[in-house]
Amino acid sequence: MQFDLHALYKALPSLLVGATITLKITSLSIALGLCIGIIAGLARVWPNRVLQILSGAYIEIIRGTPLLVQIFLVYFGLPALGLNLDPFIAGVIAMGVNSGAYVGEIVRGGIESIARGQMEAALSLGMTWKQAMYYVVLPQAFVRILPPLGNEFIALLKDSSLVSTIAIAELTRTGQIIITRTFKSFEIWSGVALFYFLMTYIISRIVRLSEERLRYSE
Amino acid sequence: MSKWIIEVRGLNKYFGRHHILKNVNLRVRFGEVVSIIGASGSGKSTLLRCLNGLESVQDGEIFVDGVCITNGRVNLSKVRQSIGMIFQSFNLFPHMTALENITLAPQKVKKIPRQEAEKIAMEFLRKVGLEEKARAYPSELSGGQKQRVAIARSLAMNPKVMMFDEPTSALDPETVKDVLDVMKELAREGMTMIVVTHEMGFAREVSDRVVHLDNGEIIEEGTPEEIFYRPKHPRTQEFLSKVINI
Repeated sequence: MQFDLHALYKALPSLLVGATITLKITSLSIALGLCIGIIAGLARVWPNRVLQILSGAYIEIIRGTPLLVQIFLVYFGLPALGLNLDPFIAGVIAMGVNSGAYVGEIVRGGIESIARGQMEAALSLGMTWKQAMYYVVLPQAFVRILPPLGNEFIALLKDSSLVSTIAIAELTRTGQIIITRTFKSFEIWSGVALFYFLMTYIISRIVRLSEERLRYSE
Repeated sequence: MSKWIIEVRGLNKYFGRHHILKNVNLRVRFGEVVSIIGASGSGKSTLLRCLNGLESVQDGEIFVDGVCITNGRVNLSKVRQSIGMIFQSFNLFPHMTALENITLAPQKVKKIPRQEAEKIAMEFLRKVGLEEKARAYPSELSGGQKQRVAIARSLAMNPKVMMFDEPTSALDPETVKDVLDVMKELAREGMTMIVVTHEMGFAREVSDRVVHLDNGEIIEEGTPEEIFYRPKHPRTQEFLSKVINI
């Protein structure tokens, strides 16, 4: 067995196109997941029983079921309710809703990691709970949330390979297609892995940089 | 306007099955300095935290400047604006400079414009002797300096009463004096103060009245002379003999 570098070289342009689609679907999912997650995380700690229970249920259900099943539910299941989604949209929705649950837990953990005295001091100054949360707790929590958020983004980028199953020609699917034509499994999967690595590495660097930018000594 | 800034009637507080405060009655006049002394775990801090609604109470009534804060309908944020609270662990906001710590609440709560709030903040920083630390972050301050910034932060809200929850217990011995000096100065100026403290010297020197809380009950209260030189209750005698032995 030898490594056919030329086959990989020839596949690079197609893989690059697949990678950009992976990046696109991941960024959109991250954006959606962040929005949902911040709301869900805040709802978990909001002094309102109903909100706590609702967001708790959302987080448990999403975390307790596989992403692949969630993707199938959105893409193959929703049409039964008369909702036919474009694969790309279905992918973003499934991944965003999935990521939101994890982001929610990260946000909740970050908020709860801030010493209670911070909230108490803010309340004692006459701030409302919302003001204390917004001006005192969240800015501190945000700094602590960044590293686990980075993990979540990286995990989501890799998990985006699952949307290959609903015929989105992202990186993994592109690899599969090339292999059915060329039979160069080893070369192409190596290339696919390399592209994933490059993308996760970039995310990891970005997160690291923003951590350093935002850090204050505690 | 009520004669009492703080009035506590028949207060009972439980943590689960533990009876933390037992039928506490306490009244504090405007301009009065009241020290609350007692052993660790006697409920001193809890009592203080009940007074600004940080802890809920199960039974009894608390009035702050004539407003009942225990009936559930009250706007606690409003009431808290008139009660300064100083914590053992300072609780400065670590992501803000000393100046920002002080200006945050006046700006957001009282809607005072930033420049005005900064002017007020600088006045209070000067008062606590830390004018030059305005741009410093809490991590760059010593414990005593942090506590003095915390005092300035509370004062900037122009409270009617200042509560201190063991303000010097977490400090290095050499910085305790700076904080106590600031508190003495406040007392001299006529600020109403309720101080939970282990600093018996301070309690004796500055207080108008000393309250001994023992196991959740106020078992004795009186002037510093009465409490420190002629304690009546055996438990007060015992407690004082333990803490004043040097």
